[in-house]
Amino acid sequence: MFAYIIRRILATIPVMAVVALFVFSLLYIAPGDPAAVIAGDQATPADVERIRQSLGLDRPYLVRFGEWVWNILNGDMGVSIFTNLPVTTMIKQRVEPTLSLMVLTLILAVSIAVPMGVVAAWKHGTWIDRCVMGFAVLGFSVPVFVVGYVLAYIFALELDWLPVQGYTAFKEGFFPWLENLVLPAIALGGVYIALIARITRATMLEVLQQDYIRTARAKGVGQRSILFLHALKNAAVPIVTVIGIGMALLIGGAVVTESVFAIPGLGRLTVDAILRRDYPVIQGVVLLFSFVYVLVNLLIDLLYTLFDPRIRY
Amino acid sequence: MDRRTLIKAGAGLGLAGHFGLSAPAYSQGAAARTLKFVPQANLANFDPIWGTQYVVRNAAALVWDTLFGFDEHLVPKPQMAEGASVSADGLTWTIKLRAGLKFHDGSTVNAKDVVASLTRWSARDSMGQMIKAIQQELVAVDDLTVRWVLKRPYPKMLMALGKNSTPMAFIMPERIAKTDPFKQIDEYIGSGPMRFVKDEWVPGAKAVFAKFADYKPRQEPNSWLSGGKHIMVDRIEWIVMPDPATASAALQNGEVDWWENPITDLVPQLRRNRNVRVDIADPLGNIGTFRMNHLTTPFNSVKARQAVLAALSQEDYMRALVGDDNALWKHCPGFFTPGTPLYTEEGGDLLKGPRNMDLAKRLLAESGYAGTPVTCVVAQDQPITKAQGDVTADLLKRIGFNVDYVATDWGTTGQRRAMKNPVGQGGWSMFHSWHAGADCINPAVYIACRANGDAAWFGWPNIPAVETAVTEWFEAPNLDAEKAAIRNLNRAGMENVTYAPTGFFLQYQAWRSNVSGVVKGPLPFFWGVSKT
Amino acid sequence: MSASSLPSTVHVPAIAAPLPDVLPPFKPRRGFIGYLRKNPIMAFGGALLLTMLCIAIFAPYLWTVDPTSLAPARRTREPSAMYWFGTDMLGRDVYSRVLYGARVSMLVGFSVAILSSIIGLTIGLTSGFVRWADAIVMRIMDGMMSIPPILLAIALMALTRGSVQNVIIAITIAEIPRVSRLVRGVVLSLREQPYVDAAVACGTRTPTIIWRHILPNTLAPITVQATYICASAMITEAILSFIGAGTPPIIPSWGNIMAEGRALWQVKPYIVFFPAVFLSMTVLAVNLLGDGLRDALDPRMAKRL
Repeated sequence: MFAYIIRRILATIPVMAVVALFVFSLLYIAPGDPAAVIAGDQATPADVERIRQSLGLDRPYLVRFGEWVWNILNGDMGVSIFTNLPVTTMIKQRVEPTLSLMVLTLILAVSIAVPMGVVAAWKHGTWIDRCVMGFAVLGFSVPVFVVGYVLAYIFALELDWLPVQGYTAFKEGFFPWLENLVLPAIALGGVYIALIARITRATMLEVLQQDYIRTARAKGVGQRSILFLHALKNAAVPIVTVIGIGMALLIGGAVVTESVFAIPGLGRLTVDAILRRDYPVIQGVVLLFSFVYVLVNLLIDLLYTLFDPRIRY
Repeated sequence: MDRRTLIKAGAGLGLAGHFGLSAPAYSQGAAARTLKFVPQANLANFDPIWGTQYVVRNAAALVWDTLFGFDEHLVPKPQMAEGASVSADGLTWTIKLRAGLKFHDGSTVNAKDVVASLTRWSARDSMGQMIKAIQQELVAVDDLTVRWVLKRPYPKMLMALGKNSTPMAFIMPERIAKTDPFKQIDEYIGSGPMRFVKDEWVPGAKAVFAKFADYKPRQEPNSWLSGGKHIMVDRIEWIVMPDPATASAALQNGEVDWWENPITDLVPQLRRNRNVRVDIADPLGNIGTFRMNHLTTPFNSVKARQAVLAALSQEDYMRALVGDDNALWKHCPGFFTPGTPLYTEEGGDLLKGPRNMDLAKRLLAESGYAGTPVTCVVAQDQPITKAQGDVTADLLKRIGFNVDYVATDWGTTGQRRAMKNPVGQGGWSMFHSWHAGADCINPAVYIACRANGDAAWFGWPNIPAVETAVTEWFEAPNLDAEKAAIRNLNRAGMENVTYAPTGFFLQYQAWRSNVSGVVKGPLPFFWGVSKT
Repeated sequence: MSASSLPSTVHVPAIAAPLPDVLPPFKPRRGFIGYLRKNPIMAFGGALLLTMLCIAIFAPYLWTVDPTSLAPARRTREPSAMYWFGTDMLGRDVYSRVLYGARVSMLVGFSVAILSSIIGLTIGLTSGFVRWADAIVMRIMDGMMSIPPILLAIALMALTRGSVQNVIIAITIAEIPRVSRLVRGVVLSLREQPYVDAAVACGTRTPTIIWRHILPNTLAPITVQATYICASAMITEAILSFIGAGTPPIIPSWGNIMAEGRALWQVKPYIVFFPAVFLSMTVLAVNLLGDGLRDALDPRMAKRL
């Protein structure tokens, strides 16, 4: 078991190395010149060249990659070309909104999707099942920004029930915080709900046909208890797995959702940085997102043993 | 059903009914002491000498002060300076500082700080560079006196020190001003009326300024960058909102107090809200530009450039930029800001009257254009360049150019336009930009109107007649002579098409009705603005 | 990207992936109409997609005008008999733009589906058969998969200038790892099958084994997967264009139309509304078709979902 954990953790190192190399190379060969942006509209070409040199953008590839990796290993992601702030500081400033949005979406999605999937499986073949499946397909088909704009139009502009945009820090109070995040979380959650509901239903269908469920039924165990105690517990592994894999959806969706709802999170930081060619920030953020994604999936792997005693390593 | 019941009933969250509009973190009184402002763009960096975007300048004007400052008539008035005198031969400038000025770190403003600041500024500013080129010495005579000795007279000295075009001659503490002019500073300490709260700065989202208690405003009434800069609030928060729709909603809901540049299409909606006031932001407006590369085909031929002028409809560009509101734009068949003393339409006939597509096609044919691609580099992240680019693509196609539309961002445009290579090897044919009207009032602050070849602004026009006129202007003894020089400049520039102006346009600003003291100007002036 | 992560493609890490059994190659059934009648949802999806395809192909003949021609004098007109979907802020006809926009979505969707399937198939087969390549290739694929696909596509788009071709390439690269994984999984499970062992024992050359035994069995899952990739590519294209890193703005694509209309969505919601509806309908059509195909081609998956 312990050896397995170590092996699993070590296995993430080459993955992260590939990500690092990929991200660095990608941006190394990218066009677009931060020096020109910094210099502003009135600068002469000579000014631009001098700024480029002072930023070290004129040095060779390997030198810059080596230096970059070394610094990251030392916890230094570099300094943003534009703001002159350390990238770690900029990321720290942006973590709370994104984390809030993701956690809320996750809670919302799981608490809606799992019951939906369970009920659909239970009422397999009825109109309830069809509604759930129909919703799932819709969830996959309507892009997150469309959902976002529709929600904001109805609930914020027409009805004026919720704020249109923005973010209130958690420390300002739970309800102001929640109020700003409800619409983005629903918009972002749509596709995630669809994904989880679908896999829950599928797994439950499979589990419900197993012998031990029939046995339980024969023994007269209540329907609710069968569904949520016996079946759901055994369906947990694929569901949890898909929640982990769906993190990629969540991260990608957050980039768009934050733009629509003007949430000052990591997603918007990424888009701003890419549009401005702020290399150190792009590298830091993409690396961070990938790291989180790998980490979450690693944790889920390790959690399997809890959910499913049949799995032994 | 009101908001509260919805949250309880709907969404199925089963939350208690705490949902007020947004429980304010400050009490009513404190809220009135914080002004929330939506700037035109993100404050991505904060060194007003190193980075010269308008948004940086606007924020810097709060934190740093200048020796002189333009008033609303564009006359430089003493600000940090007590006064200045120049020797009879025009070579020695002596600037006296006001006593008792303090930086935000508590230290006193000293002549040494001024010397270091002006040295750094003059390495980057176009007027500063002219002064630096003829500089004999720049020294601190005593704690409050600076002497700038020149080899040749420079009559526009006070304009250089007080102008509002970027980079402005901001005064920083000596240790900060010693930073290489091509490296960013990382301490934001000035002697201006507000302190920059670096801890709360979230680039891309928020920048916070707090009132500087030890600021000593001048006694004169304030006028733009001059006079007493009295701050009426304790805090100013800049909230960055890249999406105009959300900014508009936020202003209407009272989540922010002042929006620097609402887009015109949203203005009717803002006007309908009785809690919102809307007015012109900057009477000096902006001039849209269609900048051609004089080094590469096809625009190395004057005929091809004239073809563009003959067909270019400023109305199309301006409507795309400002919408249906005719009060917001003007035809501008000249290079200088309409309404300012030096404005002239001399030589701009090709831009006047009905558009002549036949003439354009004929001129294009005469230029010997053989269908080579015209690389249009259009930044999509700036509404002004994007709207112009769409019109241009359509225009050039109709004239008969083979358009290669390169959609990019402002950063890439910045890089691309610096390339002198031929098209096809990384070069370019044209790009769009715009100049603030305040920067187009005379050739000293307006490097885009110059045509000194390699040294000129991107596009590198080489038109000796323009440069002759620039020299005439610098040496002009009076306004009439200046006007005559500018007429020559405008004519030569138009006939040879230094660049094509796409029109003169104004932008709106909007604020909540409980905010008072907002004035029109080339940048948002926060002094005198109060909130109830 | 959403659909590409559908459970049908989910790779469950660590525990042995539930590898597909041997799947029967797709045989066209008799009574196609009868089949569709039994699967009304798939029929609906197919019909909807066909309609969109026709719109894309015949856009010039469907009472449209030049979707790029400007008329600043008649900008932001509400939908009317004259302008069915209204005009945008440059006076362009939204109806024409939306119809022409179908072309971009279709082109991107189908191209990405086909390209990523072919490349993913090649990589998956290679890595399923060549031991030493497997380790390297799969590490690279793992690395790429740990970058969220939209982020990867945005980053790739930042590399190059916006063009439909580059959008296709960027999304394809982001989708390849998933297809490769799928194919590799199928190959590895097939290799364990007795008849493949038998073929190897008989000295059949590897290319022949691939051609005779492996390829036919990968076609079904790949076809299903390709449908979902097509849907997800359409959404990704719209998102890229929407945030300004996609199809060049002079080409009317649904994402571009929405991006341009977003500033005005409070006052002129129709500019965003029409392309949004078309995009959602198209993606829905492809997803329904995908579900139908999966039921038909991949009974084991169908049972699971």
